[in-house]
Amino acid sequence: MVFSDLFFLFVFIPAFALCYLLATFIDKKYLSDNLKQVNTCKNWTLVVYSLIFYAWGEPVYVFLMLFSVLVNFLVGRFIDSQQDEKKRKTALVIGLVCNISIIAIFKYLGFLAQILIDLGIPISRPNIALPIGISFYTFQAISYIMDVYRRVSPAQKRYRDLLLYISMFPQLIAGPIVRYETIASEINNRHVTAQDFADGSFRFLVGLGKKVIMANQLSIISSQFLSDGINSMSTSGAWIGCAAFMLQIYFDFSGYSDMAIGMGRCMGFHFKENFNHPYCCETITDYWRRWHISLGSFFRDYVYIPMGGNRRHQALNIGVVWALTGLWHGASWNFVIWGLYFGVIVLFEKYILLPYIKPKTPKFLLHIYSLMVLFVAKGTFYFVDFGELKIFLTSLFGFADVKFDFISQAAIFDHFWLWVVAILFCMPIREQACKLTTRFCNGNVAIEQNIFTVARIVTAVVILVLSVALLVGATNNPFLYTRF
Amino acid sequence: MKRTYSYLIIVLTIYAAFTVLFTIFPRSTFSELEKRELATFPKLTLDSLAKGLFTSSVSYWFSDSEPYRDKFMAMSMLFSDNTKLRIGHNTAQSNIKFHAADSKTLAESPDLMAENQEIDEYNNEVNANANAKVAHHGIIIAGEGNNVRALMAYGGAEEGGVAYANACNEYQKAFPNAKVYCMLVPTAGEFYCPDAAKEATKSELPTIKAIHERLNDSVKVVNAYSALAAHVKEPIYLRTDHHWAPLGAFYAAQAFARVAGVPFKDLKSYTKKVVHNFVGTMYGFSKDISVKNAPEDFVYFIPNGVTYTTSYIHYKSNEKYQVISEGPKVAGEFFYTYPDGSGGAYSTFMGGDAKITHVNTSTKNGRRLLIIKDSFGNAIPGYLFYSFEDIHVVDFRYFAKNMKNYVRDNNITDILMFSEIFRAYASGRELIGYLTQPDGTFNGLKDSKGSDNEKGKSQRRKRR
Repeated sequence: MVFSDLFFLFVFIPAFALCYLLATFIDKKYLSDNLKQVNTCKNWTLVVYSLIFYAWGEPVYVFLMLFSVLVNFLVGRFIDSQQDEKKRKTALVIGLVCNISIIAIFKYLGFLAQILIDLGIPISRPNIALPIGISFYTFQAISYIMDVYRRVSPAQKRYRDLLLYISMFPQLIAGPIVRYETIASEINNRHVTAQDFADGSFRFLVGLGKKVIMANQLSIISSQFLSDGINSMSTSGAWIGCAAFMLQIYFDFSGYSDMAIGMGRCMGFHFKENFNHPYCCETITDYWRRWHISLGSFFRDYVYIPMGGNRRHQALNIGVVWALTGLWHGASWNFVIWGLYFGVIVLFEKYILLPYIKPKTPKFLLHIYSLMVLFVAKGTFYFVDFGELKIFLTSLFGFADVKFDFISQAAIFDHFWLWVVAILFCMPIREQACKLTTRFCNGNVAIEQNIFTVARIVTAVVILVLSVALLVGATNNPFLYTRF
Repeated sequence: MKRTYSYLIIVLTIYAAFTVLFTIFPRSTFSELEKRELATFPKLTLDSLAKGLFTSSVSYWFSDSEPYRDKFMAMSMLFSDNTKLRIGHNTAQSNIKFHAADSKTLAESPDLMAENQEIDEYNNEVNANANAKVAHHGIIIAGEGNNVRALMAYGGAEEGGVAYANACNEYQKAFPNAKVYCMLVPTAGEFYCPDAAKEATKSELPTIKAIHERLNDSVKVVNAYSALAAHVKEPIYLRTDHHWAPLGAFYAAQAFARVAGVPFKDLKSYTKKVVHNFVGTMYGFSKDISVKNAPEDFVYFIPNGVTYTTSYIHYKSNEKYQVISEGPKVAGEFFYTYPDGSGGAYSTFMGGDAKITHVNTSTKNGRRLLIIKDSFGNAIPGYLFYSFEDIHVVDFRYFAKNMKNYVRDNNITDILMFSEIFRAYASGRELIGYLTQPDGTFNGLKDSKGSDNEKGKSQRRKRR
């Protein structure tokens, strides 16, 4: 199931909400007392619905996830029960090997076999379908055993509660990668106020709008140029198509994160932010602190720093992290190249741009430099086929037969307001609007709050109605990141 | 706090209203906009459940058969339409220049029409300077206001249509005693594509010529291209539908009658009928509201002074448009009537595609015609009642009999292989199959690419 599916919005969510409310009532009335909050029914409801949610798309691989959680549960319990550092470490290594093996088999075996075949070794290519969200939930499992090993959080005593952490449907199939320590305490102890629910639901609708109103419309433009029009790509077409894709992937992915964070909030979970206006970055180093933050910080804390961070062989560490980041996004060479490309850029920035060039360069030039780097990166990200990637890159740099064509012009003017709104919402205009309103109200809190409330209601209703209209008949609109 | 609650009450009420609407209200079963049956609730089997097909089909069914589907879609198209920049919106109309050309045309010269191997290239003199844009499915929207035309972009290569040419040749070989004709019809894009959108489509003429060249000498070519090109300033194509207009079919039928050497009456012998406010398939394909806002007249012609009886053998097909059963021969009307505003008016002729039609006329000249056609061909037979004593119409996507038996049993003297160029590009093998398949073959449509309703999609596939 995906979030931007009418079935999810108007069957799954209402059914879940009713059951969850009922469970909350039972927990409060019959199971909790003044001293101790009990979440048994709530957590069971959430687990059961999460499993339905996952099984909806993966009726068989849901058992793989249950197995993976069981392994990590046992490893966690074992680490927690041992005082001997050696034994703890051995258990951790076994746990890591298990997790990495699962992801290696289901995600990378086909790719590996293809490499061997290409090298001339005659083996048959295994045909394993990628289980949805495996990269996300395996990383959460890794985060769990690492946090238990480091004594950041205690091990989970109930299988159900660990399953809840890993399978929780808001963040199950496309992140953000929620760290165990972030929500460990909230599994058994969480509160939801009306304000939480209002904020969470609004956040959810904002995400829905980003996906349905922005990303889905932009995807029409990007696929018009990058997939349908690849064989007759003009230079202008490559730029327009790639710009549309850049905006599409931002709204798609950050929309999903917004919806996840919003739904979590409605249930009393506080996930960390995953995006911070990434296209406003000045450097690529800066960009990666703003884009898919949960992935970047995962690699930083669980790979980069353990390898030595900036204390020893930093260049190697950076290279490894970026090769892994590339591979994480998909088992194909274009993602490896994409990752290494960023690795090289980050190293360039570290040793040359940041110390020597940045202090003397105006901000807007840095910004343009970053966007250009991203343009090439997003293109590489899009094309799994090298032949197509070559056509794209040669067209992008002006070697296409046709430099400018009518279709690219039409793509701008026919979707003009979409482009304008998309570019505006890549910038922190909501924050700016709030600041302006506050200044305008000049200390009159009541008026200020009224303006905010009305604006919020109007925004929410418009997004909801428009999204529903756009979703009727749009029968296939998966989120891009669910394939990782 | 009060503010928070007012927000929550409003938003949750609307959300709940949508939930009730989508789960309790009766579901849509047919989309007038897209002219297709909507998805039905899937059957549950262990296999479909294990493969995830059941659940994905449920999601698909849920969003495909929404209550008030067409209303919501119209709303979303209105939204898409409003994301464009309207500079010079009102002046665009005057940009369309109508040239008054006075060309002596091929179609008016009977001698040339008989020897019609040469087809002149066509130059758009109607709306070359019109505004253009590319909408959903690569459909080109030309002009503005009441002159909007939705055109399918053609992506076919010159070498295409080999199988169709082979099929025509095979039919000639299989029926040496009958005359076999081949008529290929271009779509509206060939004649009405503005210069601005020329890059978004290709000319259909090279493919037509290439198919002609592959035909054996004994297959007679009917040059519908020039016949149509001579009348581009008349409404020979529907602006809002992927089909041509019945008037275009008239000129093509005229060209055919000349080649076949049969009598043919001009339009004075027909009664003109009109379905007003017609908006065709291109609205649903292009998802462009300007198509909806430019309804047109669907004009067709009923012959006077000739009596005829019509009978049908109806086919039932599955969702993949494969024939699953064949009905008995039943009497019926050749012309169906549709009310004003009906989007299905093109089905005026014989009521659609999935059938074999037999028309017996009061003309007695020993000529019995079999038309093997796609949906463009539906508009042809109505002009030939003065020309043949029997007319059989077979749609080459729906045929479960043996063609040799059919031709023999009905003493066919003339066979018209008819197709518009998109369909000819991708068809042919099934036609050859009909020559050998036994009567009662109900799976013989595997190669066909679905009904006309899928035309937008198949055309897009070809562009890829």
